[in-house]
Amino acid sequence: MTKVPVMAHLVAGYTSPEISLEAARGLAAGGVSYFEVQFPFSDPSADGKAIQTACAAVLSGGWRVDDGFAFVETLRSEFPGIPVFVMTYANLAYKIGISAFVERSFRSGVSGLIIPDLPFDADEGLAAACDAKGIACVPVAAPSMTESRIASLAALRRPYVYAALRSGITGSSTSIDDGTLAFLSSLKASESRILGGFGIRSGDQSGALAPAVHAVVAGSVFVDIIREKSGEGGEAVRLAVQAKAAELSNPVQR
Amino acid sequence: MSIHRYFDRFGGAYVAEVLRRPLEELDEAFAAAMADRAFLAELDTLRADFIGRPTPLLHAANASRENGGAQIYIKMEGLAHTGAHKINNAIAQALLAKRMGKTRIIAETGAGQHGLATASACARLGLECTVYMGEVDVRRQQPNVAAMELYGATVVPVLSGSRTLKDAINEAMRDWAASFADTHYLIGSALGPAPFPDMVRTFQSVIGLETEAQAAEKGLKIDALVACVGGGSNAIGFFSPFIDRASPRLIGAEAGGVGPATGENAVRMTGTAASDGIIHGYKSRFLVDSDGQVAETRSISAGLDYPGIGPQLAALGESGRIEFTGISDSDALDAVKFFARTEGVIFALESAHAGAAALAEAGKLPKDAVVIVNMSGRGDKDIFITSPVFRPVQWRDFLKAELERLESGMDIHVFGGKK
Repeated sequence: MTKVPVMAHLVAGYTSPEISLEAARGLAAGGVSYFEVQFPFSDPSADGKAIQTACAAVLSGGWRVDDGFAFVETLRSEFPGIPVFVMTYANLAYKIGISAFVERSFRSGVSGLIIPDLPFDADEGLAAACDAKGIACVPVAAPSMTESRIASLAALRRPYVYAALRSGITGSSTSIDDGTLAFLSSLKASESRILGGFGIRSGDQSGALAPAVHAVVAGSVFVDIIREKSGEGGEAVRLAVQAKAAELSNPVQR
Repeated sequence: MSIHRYFDRFGGAYVAEVLRRPLEELDEAFAAAMADRAFLAELDTLRADFIGRPTPLLHAANASRENGGAQIYIKMEGLAHTGAHKINNAIAQALLAKRMGKTRIIAETGAGQHGLATASACARLGLECTVYMGEVDVRRQQPNVAAMELYGATVVPVLSGSRTLKDAINEAMRDWAASFADTHYLIGSALGPAPFPDMVRTFQSVIGLETEAQAAEKGLKIDALVACVGGGSNAIGFFSPFIDRASPRLIGAEAGGVGPATGENAVRMTGTAASDGIIHGYKSRFLVDSDGQVAETRSISAGLDYPGIGPQLAALGESGRIEFTGISDSDALDAVKFFARTEGVIFALESAHAGAAALAEAGKLPKDAVVIVNMSGRGDKDIFITSPVFRPVQWRDFLKAELERLESGMDIHVFGGKK
């Protein structure tokens, strides 16, 4: 099987600035195609327990939005070939102003913004600000959307759409069934590149999903590895993350 | 139907796409139910026979005399079944959920009054019930936790974040995102994404409508209405019939906590700490830091320490229709003692913030003026907080004795020791 493009999710600063950079190195060595860097928010209501706990830990260490952009800049300089998307919640952008946040993202080399609580039809000007700077504003789609709402989203012809593959929140297992594939195929009308994720933990899953998406998104699986291995140091984190990234990017053909 | 509804610049439905569909379904079901006479008739019956409405409007003659100003009246919402105004909304939303074919209810609670009301409503209507409650609130509101469990609800202590109401809301939203096919999220305050602020106000407006009718019956011309404001469900329901009129004055009492510094209180409409934000699915005023992270808040009242405020109240505060004031923990405690001694009525700590604001306001007005305070709940549940303050030695001795009795294996139901 050919290589599966993987968008790997990282919580900025987790479990420390050094560890999160080592994790990024592991992801890069494992062959991921995109970084999705989450800027921790105090109330990440769309995230599951693993990511929520990670965000809380980072924030209790005094993490600031400035640290998040500094991390992005480091990734851009060390891995210029891997685009960085930033995922966060509305209030971090809203606080300094949507345009200012997009401007700041542009200066740090961010390729795309994923803000799930700014839905595409109430985005406070996020898409327009992103368009002005050449940054991808990535709307989130869910299987519970009505056909007409999917059509409205598709009509916007955004460069990417983030497809949440099941109801619920990140972190639990997801099965790739006919319903999943039907939902993804309905999104294809958007002609957007589909980033599909939520609960992807194994090469089997990424291999099954790959034909239906532009890239497979995986998050909690890496957060769990980082949490488990961080006590053993940066190298242990890097190697473990690398192995999982390689598994997801190069699923064994069955 | 669009669920983007605003109160000036506040409100809206800023939710992850996964929660969009259940909000739209709810919006449609709410509109249909409110146009259905059978639903409204069943709700009226529950209001009368289950909640015990109308609640009385008490002339606090002794308190007024001693305070030395306007005549204070108390809308005795604490006499509603389960001890607070929360039941008005809980029974109505639970009935709506049942009409929608849902079999399970989830709720979040701070002081526990909303959780208690929801658990009771679910027991009455035969619905399964899970209540998320911050661990800190579980500890300080034990009497309500015990009662919720007695009603058959599962109380889930939330260990994340500040372990208070805001974290319980996050947890409930997560649950709902995965469970909305058979589950209704029964939000307890007039906040969250549309249509919740409209729905909660509608179900709570029974307080204001009754107050208006009772005042007319007594021949009172109301000068001011006073209510406490956490999320603000009792306040918006109490004020609701009067919002579009020039009078009476509407006064909202926020938690002034222990001081004016950030982290020492929960005032969103006075002071300089709060700013516009988008959190928990709606746009309003929130206590956040310079990055936009939700700030820690503080109040002796578990029901008033939420960092945000209902969007319609925020809009009415900015337009000047509602005047806001911050009441300190100690003034609230004084108000509990004052009304207990003068009127034989124990305010909940939340409601006592309104009581303190009403005393201050009435003190500035002539004797023939009328101030009505909404006692949103009664203070039975707060005994574990107020007793250590009001009677520390006796309370310590009581707890010690109870613990010894429990640990020694004595039958605590038999006075004097083992059977």
